[in-house]
Amino acid sequence: MTEFSLRKVWIIAKREYLERVRTRSFMLSTFATPFLMGMFLVLPTLITASTARNIVRDNDRPARIVIASDNVPLAELASGELARQQGSHYVTSVISPLSAAKRDELDQQLDASAIEGYVWVDARALESRRVDFVTRRIGDFVLQRRLGDALSYAFAAQRMVTQGRNARDVAEILQPVELAPIRAGNSSSAFNEVRGAVVVFILLFVMLFSLLSYGVMVMRSVMEEKSSRITEVLMCAASAQELMTGKILGTGSVGLTQIGVWLAMAGFGASRSLYLRTAMTALEVGPSVIVYFVIFYVLGYLLYSAVFAGVGAIFNSIDEAQQWNFVVILPLIAASAMILPVATASDSALSVVASMIPFCSPILMFERLAVHTPPVWQIALSFSLLIGTICAAMFVSGRIYRTGVLMYGKRPTIRELSRWLVHA
Amino acid sequence: MTAAVELLDVRKSYGGYAAVDGISFAIPPAHIFGLLGPNGAGKTSTIRMMIGITSPDSGSVRLFGEPLRRRALRRVGYLPEERGLYRRMTVGANLIFLGQLAGLSVATSKQRIDTWTKRLGIADWVERRVEELSKGMQQKIQFIAALLHDPELIVMDEPFAGLDPVNTMQLKDVLVALRAAGKSLLFSTHRMDQVEKLCDSICLINRGKAVLQGSLSEVKAGNGRRFVQIDYEGDGACLAGHPLIDSLNDYGNHAELRLKPGADSQEVLRTAMHGLRVIRFQVMDPSLEQIFIERIARRDD
Repeated sequence: MTEFSLRKVWIIAKREYLERVRTRSFMLSTFATPFLMGMFLVLPTLITASTARNIVRDNDRPARIVIASDNVPLAELASGELARQQGSHYVTSVISPLSAAKRDELDQQLDASAIEGYVWVDARALESRRVDFVTRRIGDFVLQRRLGDALSYAFAAQRMVTQGRNARDVAEILQPVELAPIRAGNSSSAFNEVRGAVVVFILLFVMLFSLLSYGVMVMRSVMEEKSSRITEVLMCAASAQELMTGKILGTGSVGLTQIGVWLAMAGFGASRSLYLRTAMTALEVGPSVIVYFVIFYVLGYLLYSAVFAGVGAIFNSIDEAQQWNFVVILPLIAASAMILPVATASDSALSVVASMIPFCSPILMFERLAVHTPPVWQIALSFSLLIGTICAAMFVSGRIYRTGVLMYGKRPTIRELSRWLVHA
Repeated sequence: MTAAVELLDVRKSYGGYAAVDGISFAIPPAHIFGLLGPNGAGKTSTIRMMIGITSPDSGSVRLFGEPLRRRALRRVGYLPEERGLYRRMTVGANLIFLGQLAGLSVATSKQRIDTWTKRLGIADWVERRVEELSKGMQQKIQFIAALLHDPELIVMDEPFAGLDPVNTMQLKDVLVALRAAGKSLLFSTHRMDQVEKLCDSICLINRGKAVLQGSLSEVKAGNGRRFVQIDYEGDGACLAGHPLIDSLNDYGNHAELRLKPGADSQEVLRTAMHGLRVIRFQVMDPSLEQIFIERIARRDD
């Protein structure tokens, strides 16, 4: 009874693959996602740029900012610094001295839209270095950052001037420093950290999205066969192991096809367009990153699809499975929450431990490998834990699958599930 | 002659509940076997063990004279109670897939699909998706799927469910032809009229146990000729309360009655002749349905 026919696995996997690849949703997600992804990347930049322009121009009218302070030199330094900022388009005025009546007046001007905001630098603010900025443009982070920079500059400069320094020296001393990171071992090319991180993030996003959607696809497929009683016919012709293996391989190949198409599109784009090619070289995506990606994607998929196949065999409908789905997805959510901490501190204890946990390691170990090279023992340990867990998950799911796909009606209790595991 | 399938004291329980509790039967070649029983009696559980989907807790299942092995399942065709087809695939793709799983090449599958769909008058539907088909039509496709690899043993769970009289006749003809070709057929049902017309032998199960089994004529004989119809003139009241009559349905000049087990019908005839003018007195063969209801009801009391 325990014969395992590769031919049957092949037939089952082939059907699964062809049926899924031919669907409209597959075509759509394969060819539309790159464009959406592009939008996703380009839009924030566009929006930021346009807001920045609006703050500056606002219908070609400059933003009017009042700096109110008893300390006139400080207010003027801040005002000057704000005006000096690149591409700025602000009109600043200084008000002194301070009084309650002045503040009421400023509030009225704000109400009447005569000004866009005012900064209130009273004695307490000078001491605590905490300044109130009253504005209607509370979401205008560009203005706020620039104003903050200008005030920081003014506070420092004013202090230095009172200590007897020449104003010109002060301006020179406070000149900001620009940081130019260069990747180790490749001193000739400057590594653009932001762009490099963007590619890794895109790959991580693709991995998360694919693991989830193809895992769920396996689950739905199992449920569909179960509820339409196809499993009964199939089980007469093939064993449960053959069915589950074929299903997981067939659906997994669909995922790999999709990723392959995306990589090919990126490659084709790079070969045809000089702009894209330069962009990609600048992004520093070496072939090794792609290889890691594929390896971890395959392993992650094997793990999640095994679990999802088991879940699919237990329940009769997607609705029923919903809450358990959440339990399965939880590690993926945890992993996605860890993406930023791991990016910033790839060797921290937390990152190392998180990249060992099998349900998170496909994402986090890949990320660590992509960001820089972790010690070999960590890679080896993470790999062995992951592969061990895959084997265990396949075994457990196979047992549950064999019994579960023939059980209809009532949802099994945990006790019954454990009996399925033990019984042959 | 080796039986196509042989069950010997087969038992299977699910979580303490005995779904199948000591069932034995054998189906020889060129034989149609009816597995009868009310819903939940254990018919599907029994069938599943015959086709290797589950294995019995104890007892043995032999296919073609040997203990059940996967390889032997190639010689078995199975028609499940509900349609097990991929709804979004075409009829042809479904059948080719199932044919391949059963060990056929694509070419052979295609050729046989062609023959069968023509025979059942659905050749025009091969390129349609299953979801576009009516229930009865899907049942026919499922039927072809079970027969595509030319099995020697054909196991069918409720094969006539959802079929109109014309299609039922068509299917019945195919089953009879298969029997003539030496195939062994088993079907489970609770439609007694079909069993009565088609089956060579039956097994009636209830709560996992065989209540009644044997060839159709044995079963009928074993259940006695206990049903009597009388056409009469006079007052039928003289029959009421007769010690040999189990139940009586009096219509005024026609009465249908059931005798107590072991009762002699001649005894009743004498009583009737004594009090009535008897026009017709007929001892009837019990219908399988009557036996079924009687047996199951008695167990349940």
